[in-house]
Amino acid sequence: MEPSGAGRKEKPKAREPAARLEKAKQKSAQTELKQRQRAEIYALNRVMTELEQQQFDSFCKQMQGSGE
Amino acid sequence: PFFVNRGGLPVDEPTWERMWRHVGRIHPEGERVAQRIRGAADLPKIPIPSVPAFQPSTPIPERLEAVQRYIRELQYNHTGTQFFEVKKSRPLTGLMDLAKEMTKEALPIKCLEAVILGIYLTNNMTTLDRFPISFKTHFSGNYFRHIVLGVNFGGRYGALGISRREELMYKAPVFRTLSELIFDFEEAYRRCWHTLKKVKLGHCVSHDPHSVEQIEWKHSILDLDKLTREDFRKELERHARDMRLKIGKGTGPSSPTKDRKKDVSSPQRSQASPHRRNSRGDRRPSGEKKPADSKAMPDLNGYQIRV
Repeated sequence: MEPSGAGRKEKPKAREPAARLEKAKQKSAQTELKQRQRAEIYALNRVMTELEQQQFDSFCKQMQGSGE
Repeated sequence: PFFVNRGGLPVDEPTWERMWRHVGRIHPEGERVAQRIRGAADLPKIPIPSVPAFQPSTPIPERLEAVQRYIRELQYNHTGTQFFEVKKSRPLTGLMDLAKEMTKEALPIKCLEAVILGIYLTNNMTTLDRFPISFKTHFSGNYFRHIVLGVNFGGRYGALGISRREELMYKAPVFRTLSELIFDFEEAYRRCWHTLKKVKLGHCVSHDPHSVEQIEWKHSILDLDKLTREDFRKELERHARDMRLKIGKGTGPSSPTKDRKKDVSSPQRSQASPHRRNSRGDRRPSGEKKPADSKAMPDLNGYQIRV
C-alpha cells in the first residue's frame, strides 16, 4: 500500500525551488533598483549642492556689497 | 515644500517622480537636470562609507571626529526629498533600527536624521552624554528649524550633526559650559543673517539601543524674545544642571524654577523631569517654515539662507 501523502508531497517540493528562485530574482531586482537610485540621488545631490552654494555665495556678495 | 519618502527603499515610483518634478521646478535648468541624470549610463559609483569602528583605547574626542566625518561623508541632502522618515515619538529601539538602515543604504541625510545617526554611532561611548538641541531662527520674514546632537564629555560640551552651513553642525567638545556652546551657535547663525528665536533642549538619551524609552526632545524651551541675556544663560545652565542631576541619581529632580509647569505627558515619561517653558510651545516638525510678520530683508532674488 502506498503512503497516503506520497503524491501530495511531490508538488510542494517541486514548488519550493521555483518559489525560492522567484524570491531571489525579486530581491536581486530590488537591490539593483536601489543601487541605481542611489547613483542618481548622489548625482542629483551634487547638482543641487552646487546650486545652493552658488546662490549662497551670490547672496553673501550682495549683502556685503549693500553694507549689510 | 518639504517632501518625505514614507515608503522605504527603494523609493516607490510616485515619490521618485515627485522628487524629480520638484527638482525641475526649482533648478534654473528645469527638466534638463533630470534628463541628464535619469537613465545615464556613466554615473559615478559612490562607495558606501564604512561605519567607524574604534580600538578601546581611542579617546572619545577622536571618536567624535570620526563619527562626524562619517556623517559628513553621507552628504547633506539637497534634493528636496528626505529619504528616511523619522518619527520623533518612536521608541529609541525603533529609531536605532532606522539608523542602522541609514548606514546600510547610505544616502544623503538632513539634520534630524543626522541626530538619530549620531545617537546610534555613539551608543557604545558610555562616558559621553548626548542630548538633542533644536533651534528656531528667523530670516527674511520666515522661520527656520534645525537640530543637532549636543554632547558632553568630561564636562566639555560639543555637538554632532549636519547642516547646509559648516558652522551649524560639528562642534568639538571644548566648550566649558552649555551656554558657551549655545552662544557659539547663536553667533554662527548671526554670521549668516539668522536671528535665534528659540532653543529647545532635550534630556540625555539612553545608551541602550534596545530601550523602549522615547527621546525627550524638549525638556527646556527657551524663548529668546522673553528672556534677558542673563536669564537665557541661567536657564541654559539650569538645564545643564538638570542633566547632571538626572545622570547622577538615575532619575533626579529638576532644579526649581518659578516657571515650571506640571508634567502632563504620557505615562512612559513619568520618571522624566517636567517640561520647563517660558513661552508657549511650538510643535511644528523640523524643516517647516512659517511666514512671520516682521520687516523683511531686501528682496535679493527671493533667496532664503536655509541652514
